[in-house]
Amino acid sequence: MTVTPFTDTPIKVLEYDGTPGPDVDSLGLSKDEFLSIYRWLVYARAVDDRGYILVRQGRSGFYAQIAGQEASQIGSALPLERTDYLFGDHRSQGSMLVKGLRAAEWFAHQLGRMLDPSKGRLMPHGPGRKDLRIVPPSSTVGNQITEAVGTAMAQKIKKTKEMTICYFGDGATSEGDFHVGMNFAAVYGSPIILFCQNNQYAISVRLDEQTHTKTIAEKAKAYGMEGYLVDGNDVLAVYAVTKHCADKARRGDGPSLIEAYTYRYGPHSSADDDTRYRPKGELEMWRNERDPITRFRRFLEKRKLWDDAKEQKLQAECKAEVAAALEEAEKSPAPEPITVLDDAYEKLTPQLEWERKELAAELGIN
Amino acid sequence: MATAQAEKKQTTSTMVQAVRSALIDEMSRDEDVVLLGEDIGIRGGVFLVTEGLIDQFGKDRVIDTPLAELGIIGAAVGMSLYGLKPVAEIQFIDFLFPGFDMLVSEAAKMRYRSAGEFACPMVVRSPYGGGVRGGGYHSQSPEAYFVSTPGLKVVAPSNPYDAKGLLIASIRDPDPVVFMEPKKIYRAVKNEVPEGAYEVPLGKAAVTREGKHVSLISFGAMVHVGLEAAELVKKDGVEVEVIDLRTLQPYDMDAIAKTVAKTGHVVLLQEAPTIGGFMGEIAAHIAEHHIGYLEGPLVRVGGWDTPFPYALEKAYMPNAERVKRAIQKTLNY
Repeated sequence: MTVTPFTDTPIKVLEYDGTPGPDVDSLGLSKDEFLSIYRWLVYARAVDDRGYILVRQGRSGFYAQIAGQEASQIGSALPLERTDYLFGDHRSQGSMLVKGLRAAEWFAHQLGRMLDPSKGRLMPHGPGRKDLRIVPPSSTVGNQITEAVGTAMAQKIKKTKEMTICYFGDGATSEGDFHVGMNFAAVYGSPIILFCQNNQYAISVRLDEQTHTKTIAEKAKAYGMEGYLVDGNDVLAVYAVTKHCADKARRGDGPSLIEAYTYRYGPHSSADDDTRYRPKGELEMWRNERDPITRFRRFLEKRKLWDDAKEQKLQAECKAEVAAALEEAEKSPAPEPITVLDDAYEKLTPQLEWERKELAAELGIN
Repeated sequence: MATAQAEKKQTTSTMVQAVRSALIDEMSRDEDVVLLGEDIGIRGGVFLVTEGLIDQFGKDRVIDTPLAELGIIGAAVGMSLYGLKPVAEIQFIDFLFPGFDMLVSEAAKMRYRSAGEFACPMVVRSPYGGGVRGGGYHSQSPEAYFVSTPGLKVVAPSNPYDAKGLLIASIRDPDPVVFMEPKKIYRAVKNEVPEGAYEVPLGKAAVTREGKHVSLISFGAMVHVGLEAAELVKKDGVEVEVIDLRTLQPYDMDAIAKTVAKTGHVVLLQEAPTIGGFMGEIAAHIAEHHIGYLEGPLVRVGGWDTPFPYALEKAYMPNAERVKRAIQKTLNY
């Protein structure tokens, strides 16, 4: 399909009721690939639902749900190669799962266990894994943007065919990091996709209070790169646009900004009360009429690829996989207290050696 | 043989030349070493540290950046994650603050937050300190911010020989290093600098002058003020031992222990404002671990607790007379 930058209405492939537009067959996706995409959507939501329950049970301290944004997360991560870099934010677990992070690791991250790739060092908003080239997010909004651009600059300097994707929310576009990152990316023609998941709220602040432009995508023009507005609840459209920009980056044709127009169902995080700021009926409208998973399922049904029996089977499978992943995470031990001193530096400094002796004595170990 | 002889050759160098020599040696040795910063390419840097390097190594390795310190540090973080060894130049350390977040929230914490999987082996080098009529925004000594950020190493050489060896050690170090270059002595102090690469290890202090009555602990340009003060009190028969820390994080606890045990009197000299300054840490360390050796108060000499002034920088910066009074204060206790 032809992917056009700077459109006024979001690029879409499927109607809200799943009716496919004319472009769907030009995507070159097979029947099995369609089914695999659907599985990812369902699986991501199953992980997400369980993650949120862990907070409600008081077993995890923080959680930012991806519910409502699965199409943005899955559709944008599927075109990535294993060697590509992924820089996420606090709401990127769907993309991280597609990139290879295991659900057991995600739950261990929430529970602060050793199986967590960050070994319990972070508020649970995303671990990293070097072999998967997933960089662990920090909590400071937008910081990943200039970093990701630096990695993409390095990919270009080393003349690889790799690229980098950097996820952030609409709120991050107000940070200096966004503007500096966009400028650097464009000036150096870096192989990067700057992927904004516009879920319309930065905690409680609406987009029209965040920025005075109609879209995020149009900001790309000011930096001399292309910006794409895509329907973030249409997994095929997100896939098509991200694939287009990833191919462009690999060809050496530089960076792109993608705005995925979507909606989060939950609060910003488990510490937020979204009933204080959402207009009545808005959430219900998105959930009932635009849900990314239902929308794609309707498409599969229209193609005779899906039915209730298959749905029940898939739901049961995902539930069982999630339960097994959580069990694996729970079996993983908590980090030993002495590890608190590790990894500030490659080796303990002399000052940390002193502190290690003190802590070891306190713990009664060597 | 010709190469071996060349490596032994000593050249009388300024700090600017020594730093450039370190960059050339490391860039020649390791193609992953890249430089980035404002005006470092064709212009050669505002202090001409990187003069000519773009011709030698090309614009992929000597990268002129847009005017954004946040971008310079941020991009360096991303490059280091990928496996390059970026050496970022910030024109004056006073302008590092727009990039401070990337340094303290990202470079410093990357290894810890990824439990050792990712790291940022990068160097941020920048001129710091007063004495060149630079005014309030071209003269500060902000080392305390970096020293109190776990994950960063902090280096401040006092002479060209150390500058080259410490910079090479910093580039080869697996952790992010803030490399502070005292611009007052960029060209004013010269010594013999060998050609070819060598390392001055991080975390090791130098005894710049032996003495038995008072230990003067300092770093960077202030070492020379300390040496001047040592000459002043020598006339009164006071022998001052001058310790140049060279690395502030991690600092050399053994060298401190040794000199305190030897003299029992300590003067701590820095250029930064005294409140919350790095020498407060050294004072606390000595008080905690070596108080039994002390025969007089730990005396700090620093800049006044104000922003850095333009017209009155001489009144502001520690000088040999002020250090002399501090020496007398601890000796006459």
